[in-house]
Amino acid sequence: MAEDIAPKDEMDDIVHDFIVETTEILDGLDQRFVELEKTPESRELLNAIFRSVHTIKGAAGFLGFRQVVDVAHTAEGVLNRLRQATLTVTPSIMDALLKAVDMLKLLLSHVKAKDGKEEDISVIMALLNEAQTNQPSTTANQTASTALEPRSAAESKAEAKTANQPSLTANQPSSTASQPSSTVKEDAETIRVDIKRLDSVLNMVGELVLGKNRLARLGALLEERYGEDDLVGDLMETASHLNLITTDLHLAVMKTRMQPIGKVFGRFPRMVRDLARERGKEITLVLNGEETEVDKTVIEEIGDPLVHLVRNAVDHGIDTPEERASAGKLRAGTLTLSAYHKGNNIFISIEDDGRGMNTGRIREKALEKGVASKEELDRMSEREILNFIFLPGFSTASVVTNVSGRGVGMDVVKTNITKLNGSIEIDTVLGRGTVITLRLPLTLAIIQAIIVRVHGEAYALPLASVVEIIRISESEIQTVEGREVIYSRGTVYPLRRLANLLNAAGGAGERSYAVLITLGEKTVALLVDELLGREEMVIKSTGEYLSDMNMKGVSGATITGDGGVVFILDVIGLFTGMKGAPA
Amino acid sequence: MLDQKMRILIVDDFSTMRRIIRNLLKEAGYSNVDEADDGATALPKLKSEKFDFIISDWNMPLMSGLDLLKAVRADAGLKGIPFLMVTAEAVQENIIQAAQAGVSSYIVKPFTAATLKEKIDKIIDKLGGR
Repeated sequence: MAEDIAPKDEMDDIVHDFIVETTEILDGLDQRFVELEKTPESRELLNAIFRSVHTIKGAAGFLGFRQVVDVAHTAEGVLNRLRQATLTVTPSIMDALLKAVDMLKLLLSHVKAKDGKEEDISVIMALLNEAQTNQPSTTANQTASTALEPRSAAESKAEAKTANQPSLTANQPSSTASQPSSTVKEDAETIRVDIKRLDSVLNMVGELVLGKNRLARLGALLEERYGEDDLVGDLMETASHLNLITTDLHLAVMKTRMQPIGKVFGRFPRMVRDLARERGKEITLVLNGEETEVDKTVIEEIGDPLVHLVRNAVDHGIDTPEERASAGKLRAGTLTLSAYHKGNNIFISIEDDGRGMNTGRIREKALEKGVASKEELDRMSEREILNFIFLPGFSTASVVTNVSGRGVGMDVVKTNITKLNGSIEIDTVLGRGTVITLRLPLTLAIIQAIIVRVHGEAYALPLASVVEIIRISESEIQTVEGREVIYSRGTVYPLRRLANLLNAAGGAGERSYAVLITLGEKTVALLVDELLGREEMVIKSTGEYLSDMNMKGVSGATITGDGGVVFILDVIGLFTGMKGAPA
Repeated sequence: MLDQKMRILIVDDFSTMRRIIRNLLKEAGYSNVDEADDGATALPKLKSEKFDFIISDWNMPLMSGLDLLKAVRADAGLKGIPFLMVTAEAVQENIIQAAQAGVSSYIVKPFTAATLKEKIDKIIDKLGGR
């Protein structure tokens, strides 16, 4: 039948649409189900869920996805009875429905992979049918349902399909079905665009930015030389207009790639619910700022690290209801995920009111693992000690569960965040809870950078990590315990010479600049010879040849306004790859 | 009016469904087709543009197919437009409800282009014979 409805090409397109749309619906369903568990009496929510499953079933029927139809149909039966209040929401019914959603996702993955595979759906079908039959007697006092109870229970012992047929007829009040207008967001007029097209547009805008920079530079040179010529003035005016438009265009294109972070957050209600049930914890999940928009690349890359952090918070952060009660806290822990914009960054925080991290334990572990000596540890601040958890293989979890605590994770989280040019911060109070804050740039393709020179070579430093630039001379550099430092306004900063970090030869000039750079919670001064200016840069990957050389400390390259190629330094990589790096 | 030129409005909240129906209509020989994603968006469209035929899903979030049908039948300018209701199950009570509201015919998902054409032809024939 699937071949009946459209020619082959068109059919492929329709199936593609079906996958995209159904995936969206299924992702939304997880969240709605978890909401439903909290507000089981919400008719609007039930209607919306019912309609979603119904919609999937309808389209799948046309496309010949028989298993999808079967699972959706049976789940719909359960939902319909919930809707009619002949069944009430219980955790086991929720489990069955959520498993049905999982099965639909799995079936959809087969559709997507075009592998023609079928799944064994008998278990989930049985579970759904059982959910309909094994309703505890407490529902008997449900208004109006008493009369229906014995009949539908008897019938549903028979085959699934016939079992929920009568309940469909029972009452399908059109008035309630069409009510939930308030909860359903109005769909703006949208158009789906292949992401590859957006990528290529962004790439072209990148080239345009490079061209604009070059033009501005040439214009400045011309003005210097032929400043009295009116034509040069006109050229400069045109160039500055082009500059404005390019910046706007860049912003506009970036906006087309922005997606709400809710896309990532959406999976957490379900995940936290399942994990909490599994670990015997009570957790209230609060999501803030789901509408905060981030670049698509960030959305794609942030998922795994966030999942890990949330799992950690559920498993290690939040204490058990008993522990909480004896500590005088509410039995249910609160896990808050927030996202917000600040400057050119997006901040995502994962906050729990659980056990907090025990820096003493981390200290012991660090000693035990030999990553630091007792003397070193004594000199370290709380923050620095907390940073040990980002070391590979470092885990203080005494119980290794299947959730986390296997010693893989935090280091991967840190690496992933760093790759995105972001940073991660931990705040914790023992017994009170932990806040982990991620800072990520809004966009990855174009950055503001300052250009510095060391031994005649220009390098770019991402402006986002630069705190301050100080003019210093060689004589101001002091040595404390064999390490070079500088003083600035009462604060001591460890000093690193960029020339040394890059293995460039030669000594510093009489007058140099110290660029203060943040590395997470630490600030380090980087000594450079010269400052060349600030520019909007388009990051180009260094290509296979150079990446194969595994150049630590270089994140990419760009073409500057004067047409030269400049390496963009990856500050974190630069320091972590070096001996004597600030740990 | 020539059947094939007939302007048809498809109302469904699931865009894949609209696309499927659009294709089936094309196969049945109807290509003058427009879409609306809900009863609530269909109604103003019906009032401002001219349509000769409506194919609507039953289950929609803001305004259901049944409510759209009722609104169409209650509107002096629209009440004559043939209305084909798409449902997932041939549930008697629903059908009675729709019939009482003045539906021209109903069609159960999934259906083929041939079935769709047959339904449309029947409705048009009945109209012509009146």
